[in-house]
Amino acid sequence: MIYKILLTIWMNLIIAAVFLYVEPAAGFPGEVSRILFFHVPTAWVATLAFFLSMIASCVYLITRKVNADFLAQSSAELGFLFCFLATVTGSIFAKATWGSFWNWDPRQTSIVMLLMIYGAYFVLRSAVPDHEKRRVFAGVYSILAFCTVPFLVFVVPRITNSLHPEDTLNPASPGMDMKTLIFFLGSLCAYTGLFVWMLRLKVRMLRLLDREQRAFRSNF
Amino acid sequence: MHPTKSGRWITQTVSSTYLSEAVAIWFRDLRSEFRTRYAVNSILMFALTTLVAVSFSIGSFRIEESERPFLYAVLLWIILVFSALSGLSRSFVKEQEAGTMDILKLSARPQAVFLGKLFFNLTMLGALGLIIVPAFILLMGYKIKFPGCFAAMMVTGGLGLGAGTTLVAAMIAQADARGALFSALSFPLLLPLIITAIKGSERAAYGISAAGWPEVKIAAAYAVIMITVSLLLFPLIWEE
Repeated sequence: MIYKILLTIWMNLIIAAVFLYVEPAAGFPGEVSRILFFHVPTAWVATLAFFLSMIASCVYLITRKVNADFLAQSSAELGFLFCFLATVTGSIFAKATWGSFWNWDPRQTSIVMLLMIYGAYFVLRSAVPDHEKRRVFAGVYSILAFCTVPFLVFVVPRITNSLHPEDTLNPASPGMDMKTLIFFLGSLCAYTGLFVWMLRLKVRMLRLLDREQRAFRSNF
Repeated sequence: MHPTKSGRWITQTVSSTYLSEAVAIWFRDLRSEFRTRYAVNSILMFALTTLVAVSFSIGSFRIEESERPFLYAVLLWIILVFSALSGLSRSFVKEQEAGTMDILKLSARPQAVFLGKLFFNLTMLGALGLIIVPAFILLMGYKIKFPGCFAAMMVTGGLGLGAGTTLVAAMIAQADARGALFSALSFPLLLPLIITAIKGSERAAYGISAAGWPEVKIAAAYAVIMITVSLLLFPLIWEE
């Protein structure tokens, strides 16, 4: 409870400061650069969530502890949500600076690839009726998919150049002044906190559902 | 289980190696495929239908000369990938439908089963390529400057296609709604390979900056990685 209240206050402070206190970065038209504080943290949380999901899948395949699979599933679902948000915010930024919502920039290609992989992951989960089997298959698929990602990271940039601003990926670069950097890191923390809170809720929900199903089955 | 005198059963004995078991499964599948011709017919008919549709609507002069190497590479790979996706899942689905999955589990080691099925799928892809690629080149008037590089791209691309889909086929054979699921699950895994193969074929056709065959190497690396990872993961889904 106290965590939730603190997180709410923190996020509200960051949002207010980002719009009222921090000046827009030079080199971008108008107020466009403020999207940095929302787009980059969502992309970061998506990466974190997918990575966590992959690790949890490995742990499940080795130990066969159900909790690891709950973590993998919840993390993948939240990662998908944040990945979608990153795509949408990125697309808005692309419209404002490059002139079109979508132009198959390497970043856009790889994020679509991620959305497709995890879309397929959920399809697989829903298509296997047996619980045990479903968990194993989902884990195997997420490891297999993870092995193809390096190809996309190395292959696609060979074909087209990216227009994506690199400053946003590297907070230590000279392109970002101190004030921006502080609130950027603050926003990263807020989003990560939000992710942790949602993840715990989701895992708890899956655990309760599982317990209920087991109790239901043991009645017969 | 012990081998009969005629030696026609696939059996696990002390002397059998992974490779001999895999080859036995490969030949058994080829034999049963030769009798029913289910997979090969569905793949080839799909490929021929799309090829005829493409050729009929585009012909050999519709696209500008300078645009051809790229656009024809895209069309060729769309035909190859989607015909492969229409039939490759048969290798495992047919075991499930015939109820022979459990016998196969008893008679060979998992990795050998995977290799046997991979060889079988690669044979199917080889047949598909041997028929469709020359037909495409003839029907569309595709001029290729570096035939050697183009052929190498087709071979490594086909290898990658087989390597990336065999494990998925084994998974979807044990799931519901198999047909649609196979394409949905395979496509994201194949996307990097498809992008590479299109680029490589385009370069081989243009004949510029194809030195060193970078795309051929990337596709070969993709195939090797997918086969290795699949060999490691296959026992997990096979012994469930």
